[in-house]
Amino acid sequence: MSWRAAVAVILLIAGGLLEMLAVLGICVMRDAYDRLHYPGLAGFGAFFIGLAVIIRESFSLIGDKALLVGLILVLSSPILAQTTVRSLLIREFGDWRAKTRERRER
Amino acid sequence: MNEWEIAATVLGFALIPCIGVVLLAPPPHGLAGMQVAAVLLSTILVLLSEGFHRQPFVDLAVVFAPMALVGSLVFARLMERNL
Repeated sequence: MSWRAAVAVILLIAGGLLEMLAVLGICVMRDAYDRLHYPGLAGFGAFFIGLAVIIRESFSLIGDKALLVGLILVLSSPILAQTTVRSLLIREFGDWRAKTRERRER
Repeated sequence: MNEWEIAATVLGFALIPCIGVVLLAPPPHGLAGMQVAAVLLSTILVLLSEGFHRQPFVDLAVVFAPMALVGSLVFARLMERNL
């Protein structure tokens, strides 16, 4: 087994474990806002797997695109989380700023 | 079966609890479950194209990842109005 294959397998396992941890978090957490932390974690798992593919295949058709998928998922998850939390606050309080005002008044 | 196919199979089974959350939990919780399921599915598509040595199929993942992002954003906006 070459060092490339070994590093690729390590990254593959690390990425898979991060994604499994994200699934566990989704199942265990009770609050929707808590659950929304885990898509970001899963995104990093996908990034590790993209790295594993590019180390295995170097800069090729599949290597570049696997890394692209990982980058898309890592960069988009904060945007997604922020937008979703904002929507859920509007759904719950009518205005996403209401929560911060409430907290300040306490 | 190589390591990529094994990883794809494991993540495939990990989709089941996410789908369970999407179906059984209230809509806001289901949205979080859907977002994690989308990331998992993108990863599975990459793993399968690497595992089966079918490089062109990685385009499925490249197309699916941004589409899942847009779909989640649309759902999030719809959630504001008590979907």
